[in-house]
This record gives sequence, C-alpha cells and structure tokens, in this order.
Amino acid sequence: MSKMWIIIKREYAQVVKKKSFLVGIILTPLFMVGITVLPAMLATKKAADTEKIAIIDLSDNNIGNKFRESLAQYKLDNDDPAYMVTEIHTINPSDSLQLIQRREELDSLIRDKELKSYFVINSRADESDSIVLVAKSFGLRANSRFERELSYILSGIRLEKSDVNLAIDSVLKLTRNIEITHLAPGGRERDFFSMYLGGIIFVMIIFMTIIGYGQVLMRSIIEEKNSRIIEVIISSVSPFQLMAGKVIGLGLANLTQIGIWIIFGMIIYNFRGNFDISPQITATIFNPVFLIYFLLYLLIGYIMYSTLFALIGSIVNTDKEAQNFIFPITMTLILPVMIAMYIIQEPDSTIAITLSLIPIFTPTMMVLRMNYIGIESFSLANPMIVEATLGLILTALTTLFIIWATARIFRIGILMYGKRPTLPEIIKWMRYR
Amino acid sequence: MNEYLKLTNICKSYDEKKAVDNLSLIVPKGSIYGIIGPNGAGKTTTIRMIMNIIAPDSGELLINGQKPTDEFRNFVGYLPEERGLYKKMFLHEIITFLADLKGFPGKKTASLMDEWLEKMSLADYKNKRVEELSKGMQQKLQFITTLIHQPELIILDELFSGLDPLNIELVKNILLDEKRRGTTILFSTHVMEQAEKLCDFICLINGGRKVLDGRLTEVKSKFGTNTIQIDMEGDGSFIRNIPGVKAVTSDNNYMELELSADADSQAILRQVSEKVAVRRFEIMEPSLYKIFIDVAGVKSMGPKSGREADV
Repeated sequence: MSKMWIIIKREYAQVVKKKSFLVGIILTPLFMVGITVLPAMLATKKAADTEKIAIIDLSDNNIGNKFRESLAQYKLDNDDPAYMVTEIHTINPSDSLQLIQRREELDSLIRDKELKSYFVINSRADESDSIVLVAKSFGLRANSRFERELSYILSGIRLEKSDVNLAIDSVLKLTRNIEITHLAPGGRERDFFSMYLGGIIFVMIIFMTIIGYGQVLMRSIIEEKNSRIIEVIISSVSPFQLMAGKVIGLGLANLTQIGIWIIFGMIIYNFRGNFDISPQITATIFNPVFLIYFLLYLLIGYIMYSTLFALIGSIVNTDKEAQNFIFPITMTLILPVMIAMYIIQEPDSTIAITLSLIPIFTPTMMVLRMNYIGIESFSLANPMIVEATLGLILTALTTLFIIWATARIFRIGILMYGKRPTLPEIIKWMRYR
Repeated sequence: MNEYLKLTNICKSYDEKKAVDNLSLIVPKGSIYGIIGPNGAGKTTTIRMIMNIIAPDSGELLINGQKPTDEFRNFVGYLPEERGLYKKMFLHEIITFLADLKGFPGKKTASLMDEWLEKMSLADYKNKRVEELSKGMQQKLQFITTLIHQPELIILDELFSGLDPLNIELVKNILLDEKRRGTTILFSTHVMEQAEKLCDFICLINGGRKVLDGRLTEVKSKFGTNTIQIDMEGDGSFIRNIPGVKAVTSDNNYMELELSADADSQAILRQVSEKVAVRRFEIMEPSLYKIFIDVAGVKSMGPKSGREADV
C-alpha cells in the first residue's frame, strides 16, 4: 500500500507541477462556458440597443399603428424602448409599383444597418394571417413578442367584425396568450434554458474529466512503455499497484482541479454584484441529492473509463495507434450530449431509461436524466432515485470487471513491444498465469 | 556453498513456443553468475521469472530456500535489458523515487546519492533533468538507481548492451565492489568475451534449454582442449617429447602445444625453461564461445529479429 502511495504521489506531482495544469484550470471553464452557456445566452439575450423597425401597411384597419403602440410596452434594461417604429407607410394594395419602390428603399436601409427590420402587413391580414418580416437575422425573443402582439391585434380586428356582444377589450383579455411556467414535481421552477444548461454542464464536467485525464493516463503509460522504465517500476511494485496508483494519482489531481473551480466559483458567486443568476440554475447546483449522485457518477465514471484508457495504453505502442481506440470511447461519452434534446423532451422514455442503465453510458446519461426529472430527496418512491441507484450498482460491478480484465491484460501488455496485438492475442493474455 | 537462488525445472511457454524449457540452476551466495546465450535463448524470460514480473508455467523458484515474497523485491536491484527513465524528472528526484519504491529509507538515499553521483561523474547534473543527459550518462544514472538501495541480489539483463568501453570498465569495477560487500550478482549477456572476464559461475542456455553450467574454471577445464603458447630463444625440438604433449605446431621462435587432458602445465614449464630462454609462456584456455559452439552445436549467433525483444 505504501508503495502505491509513492506512485500516487509521483503521478500527482507530475500533473500538478506542469504549466498545462494551470492553463487547464483557467481554460477549461472558459471552454465549457463557450460551448454551453454562450450559444444559449446569445439566443435569449435581451437586445442591447433599440431596434429600429419600419412598417409597410397595406391593410385598411390601421394595423401598423396599433402594432407600434403595442410594442411600446417592451423596454430594455436601461428603460429605453426595445423597439422603435421609425416609419409606417400606408400604401394602397393596388399600387404595386409604390410597394416595390418602398421595399427596395427599406431593403437598402437594412443593408446599411439604418434599420433592423421591416414588416409588410398585407391587405386583409386579419383574414389571411399574411404578414412578412424582412430582416437580416431573427431573434427568438423578438420573434415571439412580434407574433404575440400581432396575433392579439388581428384577433381584435376579427372580433370587431364579428357579432360578439361584448366589450372587445375584455374578450381580448380572455384570449390573451400566456407564457407557461415549467415546474418539476416538488415545485422546483425550471425553464428550458436552465434545464438544458444544467444538464449539459454536468455532463461536460464528466466528459472533459474522463477524456482529459484518461488521455493523460494513457499517454504516460505509453511513454513508460516506450522508455522501458515500466519494467524497472514493476520490479518494485506489482503491475496492479502501478495501474491503480496512476488512476488514483491522476484522479486526485483532477479533484484538485475541480476543487479549485468550486472555490473560485463560490468566490465569484459571492461577489456577483448585480449580475443575475437564474434561480433555477442555482437550485440545480445546490441540490445536495443531485450533487451526491453526480459526484458518485463522476468518480465511478472516471475509474471505469481511466481503467479503459490504461488498458489501451498497455496494448499500443504509439499515440497514433491509440487514436483508433479512443474514438469509440469518445463517442460513448458524447452520446448523451448529442441526444440531449431528445432526453429533455422524453427523459422517462424506454429508450432513455434503457440507455442510462447500460453501464458504459450510465454516468453521463443518468446525470442528464436526473437533471431533467429532478430528484429532491432519497425517497425510493421516486423511480429516478431507484434507477440512479441501480445504475450506480451496475456501473460499479462493470467497473470491477473492467479493472480485473485490464489488470490481467496490463501486466502482459506493458512488456510487449512491436506489433500491436490482435484481439485473440489479447484474450490469450488474460489466460496467462 | 550457500545456495542463494535456486531454480528447479522451470518452464515457460508463449503459445506453442517454449521460451524456457525445464531450466534448473543454482546461484551461490556472493557469486557473480552469468546466464549466457544467443538472442532468443530465453535469458530475459528467465530473469523476468526470477523478478516475478512473469510467472513460470511450472517449476520451483527459491530464494534462500524460500518462495520469494513481495518483500524480496526490496532487496533486488534490477536493470532490465531495455534501459529508460522518466525524461522529465530531475536526477535527484528519480533516484529518490526509485529508491522509495524499494522501501529504502529516504535519509539513507540522500546520504548515499552524492557519493554515487561522484563515483559516476554525474555530480554536476544532480539538479538537471534526465533528458539533458547523454545516452551514456543516462546509462550510468540507471546503474545508480539499480544499486543505491544496497540490494543483496543484483540482476542485470544484457549487462553490456549500449555501454561504451569506458563505462564497461566502470561498471565492472562497481560490480566487483558490490561482490566484495557480499552481494550476489546475476547477469545475462550474449557477449561471451566480457562474461568470461567477470563470472565466477556460468550457465549457457540455448533455445530455452540449459546447455551446461557450473564454475567457470571447471567448465573450461572440462570442456576445453588445453593449449600452451611459448615464445622462446633456442632449440625447442625436445619439447615434443615431453610427456603430456600431444601435438606441436612450431615456427622459428614460437610453439603451440596441445596437451593431453591429464598433462601438468607447470611441469612442462619447468622442463622447457631448463633448456631454452622462455620469453612468454601462456596457458590458452578455450573461449566460452568455442565451448558453446562445440557443446550446443550452434552455428550462428546472429543479430536479433522478431517481434518480442527477447523472450
């Protein structure tokens, strides 16, 4: 045991003392923010400037003016109006020449960035629902606002034309669109953004940890094999002690990294000032039940996959040979991210449950599902808790098997140089005394 | 004679190939023992089994009359055939790391380190990284890491491979020092000329099987044909009639005598020096190489080939 500790200490020091460790601590969160938070934030961010909008109104119900009034309710953070309708051109629908000229003028204004977008409200828009928005790009948030307000205006016009004997305003209130608030069982408030973000962030932590540290482990074994020092080492410790020492040493380096992130995260959180952090995200991050499962899955996933990386390192001779083996591992790890959209919609589907109970997928898939379904307590009445625990047991058993098989292959593989062995050869190694 | 290491009927096969076939040998305590044979003879496999890096298929391996324990590893210094160290580590780090792995106390490592670095002319490099050293220096460093924990058994696979002549001398002297401390030394080589100068005992193996073993001098006298070379001044024609001389080839001032097995070379010297002036009188021992060729019936000792370095 004390010899394994010497291996652990060296592996740990070798990683932590490197400059790349520091760089990784800084760059990894930036990278994760880059590929998860930013696109989501950009898609939903509030516009920074007032958007200038023009309207070509071919209808005879004054839709353009009504639309301008209704847009006035939307404000930016600094209380400036979110949208400003610069001009409304009321054109007779039969005057197609003027329409073409106006559109050409407005098109060139958009190209010159004088204008963000313009609407073409066709005649009898209330019957045909025919409204065109011309712009270089469309924001999700703006688009849903425009659709909501225009639907409201058009509904009003249709009501006026009908024989309803009620005050139109009160009817409109009855038909007003709503935004749905999403709640998890137990009352946790969630929205699409934080659900997606929460899940992906945790999966990314597992993914980057395993791929990053797994490859460091694999490379160091290949290097030890190539420099032949491995034979000196296993004349002092058993191959299993060497392998386990490396896995644990690198795991501790990894924990150090995550620990530093947590400390910095807490510091930033305390000094966040006015910066608004979605309460849903906070609720996910500070859910102790989820965090316990997450850490267990991170741990077992790391051990399972890094053992596989050790296996690869022991049977190949070069990084290049190793690439063929790394690809399927990367794919199994990245699968939940690829099908995250489906899992969000159907976290309880048979496919999702089945995939999350296949041990090689379990760490990432289960974390993703736990995030969407939500676990608030250790109650076995919650099927998610049952599945998460079952997944943990299955993964642990699989990991034990992988460790056993790898230990048997490792001790032979590290002494074999030259040609990469075939699968039957590797299986034969397992049977050697 | 104290049996330090004893192998009995050791076998090891890889698939159908017998790497080591029914090998038995005894390494006496405090001796220098050479396992000698061509590439592919099974030397490395034998050494790896002694090191417990691989397990024999059958047979018994005893150290001091007992089955080797994990603790045994701490008392062995092992230099594998292929040399290498962690390139990024500092010299003092790697020496300490490998000594730690042997369970050698850190204080003792620190106190011995400077002495060893001095002996190997590496003192100036103590705080340098391994990769900054030349190949020859790395070899010397590796010897330090093999020996610093004061092992009672030193095992060196292909001892001479990659060493330049200067370092071979250095290493020989160090091994003789170790032997004086009472250390048992086992090494393998295919360079028989070097082995002859260093070994007390030898074991010749070929194709995984033992060809012969024993004390070097005994092996030589048993298998050799004794030859004497004489440089002299005067008429040496009488020499061919001395009892024990089987055949003579002669030049003007030079004679080569082939002796019968029971001949006494010292008696011959006395008789010769009575009548002629002897400038040189040398008993030519047969070379190990010649014995090996004769006994094993091997024709070539060609270069290594194949996928495993040496099974």
